[in-house]
Parts: sequence; structure tokens; C-alpha cells
Amino acid sequence: MDVKYINPFINAVVTTFETMIGLSIDRLDPFIKTHATAQGDISGIIGYASKDIIGSVALTFPEGTALEIYRLMMGEVVNDINEEVKDTVGELANIVAGTAKNEFSNLEISYHISIPTVVVGKNHTISHKGSVPVVVIPFQMTNFKFFMEISMKLNSVTSVSQRMRAKMQTA
Amino acid sequence: MRILVVDDSATMRRIIIKALNTTGFNDITEAEDGEDALTKLEGIDLLLTDWNMPVMDGLSMVKEIRRNASFANLPIMMITSQAAKKEVIEALKNGVNDYIVKPFTPATLVEKVQALSAK
Repeated sequence: MDVKYINPFINAVVTTFETMIGLSIDRLDPFIKTHATAQGDISGIIGYASKDIIGSVALTFPEGTALEIYRLMMGEVVNDINEEVKDTVGELANIVAGTAKNEFSNLEISYHISIPTVVVGKNHTISHKGSVPVVVIPFQMTNFKFFMEISMKLNSVTSVSQRMRAKMQTA
Repeated sequence: MRILVVDDSATMRRIIIKALNTTGFNDITEAEDGEDALTKLEGIDLLLTDWNMPVMDGLSMVKEIRRNASFANLPIMMITSQAAKKEVIEALKNGVNDYIVKPFTPATLVEKVQALSAK
């Protein structure tokens, strides 16, 4: 997977967390996911698709991270993953997918995003779209860690490249 | 001023309402999607809406609202992460008056709401 197609999602996570939570976060080294089990206890998953591209992105949080994010966003301490925390995680996934979409438009790629789904539980699995490798990008937020999983299949790399070249020639 | 906040995320509705409350906008009604919002328009002075929602999305709702002459002048602000140029244009063409891109800060939201409500 070309890094230029991953960066919009990474940038979207950083921007979303900095703006909505007021924290800067660090991206750690990415790796390829080798099993279906999520790294976290709660995941917000959202699909995206168009004629150019199909895939899904998931934000997956250990319970402690999810509760801390909820506290920072809502100013309220909760001790367990409840409906409000689930909703917050789903909305974060929604914002990240939407924000990445805006950056993808600079690459002449557009897509529609689905309504997010949220899965909760120790060792839950995440089903991604397409039979492609899933890239996992860990993030560090103060003492808390969370992960983004991305699956992506470009349907027409050639036509996208051709469109970009054509655009550059006419610019 | 009565404000209708439309978003399928309760978290986002709370964030928006909290920001509005800090600047004296306290008469606020909530709706979970476009269809829900269409039943709550009476007496509303300003509408803030998400785009990507189940049942009826924000853009479909705006089109429906603008078909009704009674709400032709209702100020509508879209609050959404969908902000590619063509989406913004599509929203504005269909009757959205202003646009806020998620993620946003409370200060940006309040500033935009104050500007739109003053028109």
C-alpha cells in the first residue's frame, strides 16, 4: 500500500485529536496485521467506497484510552464503556474518515463513507473490506495508546494516475 | 433564538450544545436524523445539521426543507467532516447558508453561529 494513500488517514487522526481533544499525539511505527483480533477493547469501524477505491478504517482503543478520551472530550469521568463512550468512538471514526476524504480529493480520489459501527469486547475481531493486507498504525496519546487499522484496495490506480497527470499538464 | 441541532451522534450534539450554552444560546432542540428534524422545525430560528446520518441524511433534509416556502429563509449551517470542494458547493447550492468542517473548536462554532444568527 503506497504511503501517500495512508497519510490522509494519519493526518486526519492527528488533526481530529488535536482539535477535538486538545492533545497532540505521536504516530508510532506501522505494521501489518496478522490476525483478525483487534488491539483494543472498543473499535469504531467505517467503510468507504467508490469506483476508485474500497476499504475500511477502524479506530481501536484499549478501555483505558477510550475512557480517557471520553473524559477529555466530554469533561465527564465514566468507569466503564457505556453507550456514550461507544457513540464517541463511532463519531471519532466518522470524523477521521470524512477528514481523510478531503485530503484524498487532492489525489483526485473520492469516496462515500458508511455510517460507523462500534464493536466492544476483549479480543473482538474487526472485519475489513476487501481481501487485502490490513495496515495497523499505533498512536501514543500521553500515557495512552490506540490504533488505527486501514484496509484499502485501489480499483483503478492507472486511471487515477492518468487523471493526476492530465491535471498537472493542464495546470 | 430557538436552535435545532441535528446529528445522529449524541456525543456531537452534546459538544455543540455545550458550546452554544456558554454564549447564551439555551433554547435548543435536538434531532437524531433528517427525518426526525423535519418534525421539529416549527418555531425554529436556526438549524445546525450533520451530513452523514442514517434514515435521512443532512443534504436530503435541507432539500426537503427548502421545498417548503415557510422555511425558505430558515438559516441552515452544515457541520460535517465532508468538506471536499464539490461537497461544499453541492450543499450551498441546495440551500445551506454556512458550513463548519469537523473537527472544529467550540470557538469556531460559536463565532459562525453568532454571525449567521445576526443576519
